[in-house]
Amino acid sequence: MTNESDKKKDDAVQTSSAPVEKSSIPGLSELLEDPSKRLFFKRVAVGGGTALLGGAASYGAGIHSLKGKVSEEYPQIDEKLFKPKDQRDVVLNFVSSKALNKKHPERNEQYNRLQKKEFNWVNGIKDMYSKPWDNSKPGYTQKDRALQKAGWEPLNLAGSRGSANLQPNTPFNTWDQSDVEKEQYQFESKKHASDAIKSAARVFGAVKCGIAKRDKRWDYDPLYDIENETELSWEKDFPFEPKTVIVLLASMDYDCIATAPAWTADGTAADGYSQMGVKATQMAKFLKGLGYHAVGAGNDLGSSVPYAIMAGLGEGARNGALISPGVGPRVRILKIYTDFDFVEYDSPHTWGITEFCLSCGKCAEACPSGAIPKMDSENGGYGFEPNYEFSDEPGYTWNNHIGIKKFYSDAKKCYNFWVENGGACSACIASCTFNEPDFWHHWFIMAINPVVPKFLHASMALSHPAFGYGHTNDPKRAIKFWKMGEGMRTNLGLKNNIGTSNKT
Amino acid sequence: MEQMQWFLMGVLFTLSVFALAWLSVKVRLQWYVWAGMITGVLLILFGIGWAGASFMEGISQSGSMGLIFFCGPGIVMIILLWRFLIAPEFEKQAK
Repeated sequence: MTNESDKKKDDAVQTSSAPVEKSSIPGLSELLEDPSKRLFFKRVAVGGGTALLGGAASYGAGIHSLKGKVSEEYPQIDEKLFKPKDQRDVVLNFVSSKALNKKHPERNEQYNRLQKKEFNWVNGIKDMYSKPWDNSKPGYTQKDRALQKAGWEPLNLAGSRGSANLQPNTPFNTWDQSDVEKEQYQFESKKHASDAIKSAARVFGAVKCGIAKRDKRWDYDPLYDIENETELSWEKDFPFEPKTVIVLLASMDYDCIATAPAWTADGTAADGYSQMGVKATQMAKFLKGLGYHAVGAGNDLGSSVPYAIMAGLGEGARNGALISPGVGPRVRILKIYTDFDFVEYDSPHTWGITEFCLSCGKCAEACPSGAIPKMDSENGGYGFEPNYEFSDEPGYTWNNHIGIKKFYSDAKKCYNFWVENGGACSACIASCTFNEPDFWHHWFIMAINPVVPKFLHASMALSHPAFGYGHTNDPKRAIKFWKMGEGMRTNLGLKNNIGTSNKT
Repeated sequence: MEQMQWFLMGVLFTLSVFALAWLSVKVRLQWYVWAGMITGVLLILFGIGWAGASFMEGISQSGSMGLIFFCGPGIVMIILLWRFLIAPEFEKQAK
């Protein structure tokens, strides 16, 4: 910075006889008459201005990066392997249906034989919440159990608990369309319509909202009514032909999830399910109020992760979940099927997340049941077919939706652990490198991730636990969670302080 | 708290600009010394920002690591540059 030219200027100032304009501020004129002080202030202005401009440019580049790039790669489908997913072959649906368990005893038998277990699918969910608490074991006490049950209560009261297990047409996610307004509201433009839907989603408490075209590849077909043990058809039973699927994300509490796999974590997961029901029914009602048909859905009707990816909300991860910038996998996905199609559709985006998952594997290390493909699996566990343990056994992968390029996990093992544990686990969410609270330094890492060379991803994944994040199975986390109380951040939603909630 | 952190970082940034400007007036230095000094200041500011946010979010380990891995190298860099390249320049000019 200091160089010959500056020195000459300095000398020139010293020898110059040009009068310095008098300032009205007392003392300033004397200050400016001193050439070294003038030079000093000039450098402060130039240096500070340059630094501010540099900062503003970096901020702009960060915002641009956080918006993600349109992904041409999703979805990659192997047409020879792909077929629509039968709802009955989803683990949570299967374990909730006595008729299906009776029909397929070989599934339970094969699992127990291969995994050397004596596990009963049918009583699983009942057993899960009947385990006795132990008040000397942090995370598994009476208050943790109470939190779990309280989390589910809105769904229970609404008679919609089944929606978590794929039961369609529950009171929250009703198929009844008798309350659709006769007059259809006409939006000025597709953009206005999309903005209005997203604004409503924000009011309902969603952290993000995206809009995807209805895509039969992601819909369960046929559908299945678990309560009445009957098959349902999109054409004959569903009340209208959906054209659009609106996807909302409901976030879960960071510190509660950090207690995983303790029962405490299941408290926010259960609450997430209740939020799904509430928000889905609100958004469906909003669309009906505009004069369009709409049905809300939790885990039912279609596969949530691909719809969320198609709606530009995140990317598919090793743990089988959606990773959304800012909240990571700490979200529950809900959908609203509607025939309203005068909207601007979102498109799949990438932030380098799936690519990061190829070098990370923290979720697989943390998974207590070994359900998630580890880094040393064939192709790192990423492909068109499952390649986890026993996936080559005939019929063993009945629960997977084969033919889509993604990470395949063994949800049967996952569910088995839930039952043994006495609550849903969430260790894969808590340990995820993208599971962070909403503070600037995490946004910074998210923003630079797409330009970080691949070979550094593994070291970034290693530094995550080194910096104190992503630990699981730690009783101290449950103690910490319960001590936080009032005054601690709630972190229920994104602060959206740098304008990156969704793409708005 | 978060607003207070950003305010204090603004104060620190301003003081850093003043300090570097003062240095530029007082002594002539090579470009790499300037590069080192600016990097050092940025690392310290980054580390403080990182640590502040980490302590606020309740992950003190991240805060400590931020101070060690970002502020630490920044301070070391500035001290070494001062000791071996800047102070001798001051002495030279004094003579």
